[in-house]
Amino acid sequence: MPSLLVILPLLAVLLLNLPLNFLRRLALPAALLLALYQAAFALGVLPACCAGCPTQERWFLNALDPLTSVLLLAIAIVAFVSVFVLRATAGEERREFNMLNLVFLAVAGMNGLVLVRDLFSLYVFLELASIASFILIAAHREMGGLEGAFKYLVMSALATMMMLASIALLLALSGSTSFGAVAEALQAHARHGYVLTALGLFLGGLLIKSGVMPFHGWLPDAYSAAPAAVSTLLAGIVTKVTGVYALIRLVLDVFGFTPATQQLLLIFGAISVVAGALAALGQSDMKRMLAYSSISQVGYILLGLATGTGLGIAAAVFHLFNHAIFKTLLFVNAAAVEKQTGTRDMNQLGGLAQKMPITGVTSLLAMFSTAGVPPLAGFWSKLLIIAALWLSGFHGYALLGIGASLLTLAYFLSLQRRVFFGLVRAGCENVREAGWALTLPSLLLAAILVGVGLALPWLIGTFLLPVKGF
Amino acid sequence: MTNNLMYFAILLPAVISLLAFATRKMGKVCAATALLGAVVNLVVAIKLFGQTAAVHVPWTSWGLDFTLRLYSFSGFIVLAAAGFALAITLYSLPFMAKREHSGLFYFQLLLSVAFANGAALADNLILLLFFWEGLLITLYGLIAIGRPGAWKSAMKALVLVGVSDVCMMFGIALAGHFAGTMQISKMHLVLTETGPTLAFLFLIIGATAKAGALPFHSWIPDAAEDAPLPFMALMPAAFEKLLGIYFLARITLDMFALTPGSWCSTLLMTLGAITILVAVMMALIQKDYKRLLAYHAISQVGYMILGIGTAVPAGIVGGLFHMINHALYKSGLFLSGGSVERQTGTTDLSKLGGLARQMPITFFCFFVTACSISGVPPFNGFISKELIYDGALERGGIFYAAALLGSFLTAASFLKLGHSAYFGKVSEANKNVKEAPWAMLVPMLTIAGFCILFGVYNQLPLHKLIQPVLGEHRLEGHDYAGWHFNIMLVVGTLVVLALALLNHFIGVKRSGSGIGAADHIHYAPGLHQAYDAAEKGWFDPYELGLTLARGVGRVTWGVDRFINWVSDGLAVGVTAMFSYLVRSFHTGSLPIYLWWAIAGVALVIILLVKVN
Repeated sequence: MPSLLVILPLLAVLLLNLPLNFLRRLALPAALLLALYQAAFALGVLPACCAGCPTQERWFLNALDPLTSVLLLAIAIVAFVSVFVLRATAGEERREFNMLNLVFLAVAGMNGLVLVRDLFSLYVFLELASIASFILIAAHREMGGLEGAFKYLVMSALATMMMLASIALLLALSGSTSFGAVAEALQAHARHGYVLTALGLFLGGLLIKSGVMPFHGWLPDAYSAAPAAVSTLLAGIVTKVTGVYALIRLVLDVFGFTPATQQLLLIFGAISVVAGALAALGQSDMKRMLAYSSISQVGYILLGLATGTGLGIAAAVFHLFNHAIFKTLLFVNAAAVEKQTGTRDMNQLGGLAQKMPITGVTSLLAMFSTAGVPPLAGFWSKLLIIAALWLSGFHGYALLGIGASLLTLAYFLSLQRRVFFGLVRAGCENVREAGWALTLPSLLLAAILVGVGLALPWLIGTFLLPVKGF
Repeated sequence: MTNNLMYFAILLPAVISLLAFATRKMGKVCAATALLGAVVNLVVAIKLFGQTAAVHVPWTSWGLDFTLRLYSFSGFIVLAAAGFALAITLYSLPFMAKREHSGLFYFQLLLSVAFANGAALADNLILLLFFWEGLLITLYGLIAIGRPGAWKSAMKALVLVGVSDVCMMFGIALAGHFAGTMQISKMHLVLTETGPTLAFLFLIIGATAKAGALPFHSWIPDAAEDAPLPFMALMPAAFEKLLGIYFLARITLDMFALTPGSWCSTLLMTLGAITILVAVMMALIQKDYKRLLAYHAISQVGYMILGIGTAVPAGIVGGLFHMINHALYKSGLFLSGGSVERQTGTTDLSKLGGLARQMPITFFCFFVTACSISGVPPFNGFISKELIYDGALERGGIFYAAALLGSFLTAASFLKLGHSAYFGKVSEANKNVKEAPWAMLVPMLTIAGFCILFGVYNQLPLHKLIQPVLGEHRLEGHDYAGWHFNIMLVVGTLVVLALALLNHFIGVKRSGSGIGAADHIHYAPGLHQAYDAAEKGWFDPYELGLTLARGVGRVTWGVDRFINWVSDGLAVGVTAMFSYLVRSFHTGSLPIYLWWAIAGVALVIILLVKVN
């Protein structure tokens, strides 16, 4: 029963915080178990969903379809990995416990978000996940983390405000907040200025949450200043669910594809793809470069979505999943490098591939996947996005996508060269591979990247193309 | 049995060449192996001669079959090649004895024999091409083992002959396409259609270039200086003439029916005439024994092409007879040059002189072969030239005139060569020069003997070797053996020879020495400039090609640099600039970020309202 995926994390937070000391030690295994359960559940329902099972709506947290199942799987994988990173980097036990509680809340929020089909419920779960994230970013109580959390908070407040206002307007229009009712009302009054304002406010809020340029002001600071485990969770899944997934879901189910929505998705997607990559190119902080890279990759997802075709949407969702995997992997590796060397400044690193072979190789794989080198997973999703753009007649945007993947390769090569390749830099001679808590997740994620890439011919028919069918 | 012998003719020299390769570090053993190989090959060749046989082994379904054909012509070529191979191997024993790479020399000599036998016996064009290209490899290898830096000449030969071979390859493909078979003896193409004519022209390029005709000739004079001398006597003087003219004859006689008066025939004759004149003009001004001979090796090919190109019986018989005669006297001449080089250490004519007294046998051989090449009766060159004149005159006075002028210049240049090398004063350095060893003299004397024999008793070569090639019906009942020539032609030849002698005396008188006998022609107004340009390589296709290649190389280098600049300089610079621009917007100020977001939302609403 999918509702359990929301109820269990909340229940876990309640139970673990009973005043019994031994319960604290159960928090970590509980989190891992929950993540495994969720992954198993998602994998279990995914084939049935893709085969076209009717959506069950007996209860409000029960809506399953291929898109939701894929997101549930991604959430489970990233949460699982983040718990490992948390274990490796949190430091004191009390802080680890507190952060784990927040991770439970964030996961509950995200799970709820992907399972609901109602605007206001969506808003509630979105806030749950966001608020947990604000606190997580600042969990180490350092200046950078506080600043990042504050920026995220303020920008999110703006987004919240706009989304709430929009929900109010739409409620007044349709008398309900369920997707179906709102979609009907929107169709009935498509060109009404009132409707367009509501639409614009909601889309603006979602774009802020997704970190699309130029709504991205909070993102580089939040990603790079957050503690390692938090940036893994945040970059890997939180912004993807609260922003990108919500955008996809609402455009598909509620707002519908109009030339206007297509146009604005294309424009903001293109800006993000190019400007994000350009900004990444000049960074010297490893995590900040990854943050700008995220902006650029989200741009690709928007471009795929903008086509409005089955292929484009499937490719966008595929890229969303792939991005969750490889960006998480890169942040895990960034965490390993920071933990072992004490710095994220790429100018002070060098030749780490010799000292940290697992980290070096897996990050090379992730980077190739991001840049779209065959046969890794990222290549296929990017190829499908570009193919979908071309087939839909957006030739200029397709070429832009190809050109920007060169930029992607450029900044990742620069990262790889400065951190992992070449001679071991003075001061890095005694660096050793990070412990299993970091290398194990890296290997797991790298295996998924390669496996998904190699299994694509099977995946494309079984899972990928049915995504359009909801 | 005969079929097996045909295999032996190809396989035995090849196998023995491998033995020579294995023993290449053991000087005398290797030389003995080579001599054995040459003798065995000659025995096989003699056994093959005069027989007819064919081997046909189906190989692939697209025209490449292993087909050998032994008949009068191929037997003759194999026999001649075997004779020269033995003579030159014998000659090389003392000549190459103390030299580096003598083992590699023998190895490649025998390998060349195997390839040459294969090329002569092959009746399938693709098979022929295989052996033909094999000779290109040994050509390169034999030149490259010469004096230090010889690889440059070797490369020149490889490129020039390689280019002509590519043309021939194309011609073979065309011929096979239009004939529907690759078997030479089954091809019957006509020169009235465009396609077969094109095939003919490309095949002609391959055959004449192999023989050393213009414009693929320019490697020969360079190789003469760089390669080991026996190579010159073997390949450019003998093998390449034999095979090139053999193939030319098979093209014009068997594969295509070349008719007198067709434009292809005229084209061949023109090519022959130009080759005669241009090369002999260059030969005239040379001051080096071997280089002078090399230009004659080119010039004389012109006579053969001219003769075969006439397409009349007298011309063809003359051309083919000239081929074997040339192989004889030009090998003999090169070998005499080798004796001089070995005994004096130089071939520079300005350092030689008076050798007739010190090396009388060598001088005798030189005298016979020089008379042969100049067409003095009763030597063999006289007979074949008369036949060519006969054919040429039948086709047009201009070709006869060109051939006659060529003879004048040939005689003049050999008078100059003989005078400066064998007469005059002995230089200080050459005071104690002695005659060459017998192993070198025997081949030279043998060759000189053949020069006389083939002239005086020309019935032997003409009846046994040349005329069977054409067959009764092509000869139209003529028999060219004997001494019954058109008296006008003989008078013309004698007058020209007398004029050459006169010219020589004038030249010697004016310049005061034998070596300057041609200076008055060299520095004649008009010719002088042309010679200077030729010496600078302005007419050398290889040099021109190199210049062109350098030019193209410079242009592509520029393009490459430009692309490099665009990708490594411009693109990186522009990207870095934009990257800096984007980063400079990110000040970290929250209010600014908020305003961006608000501006973005405004843009969203504007888009929603405007677009639809």
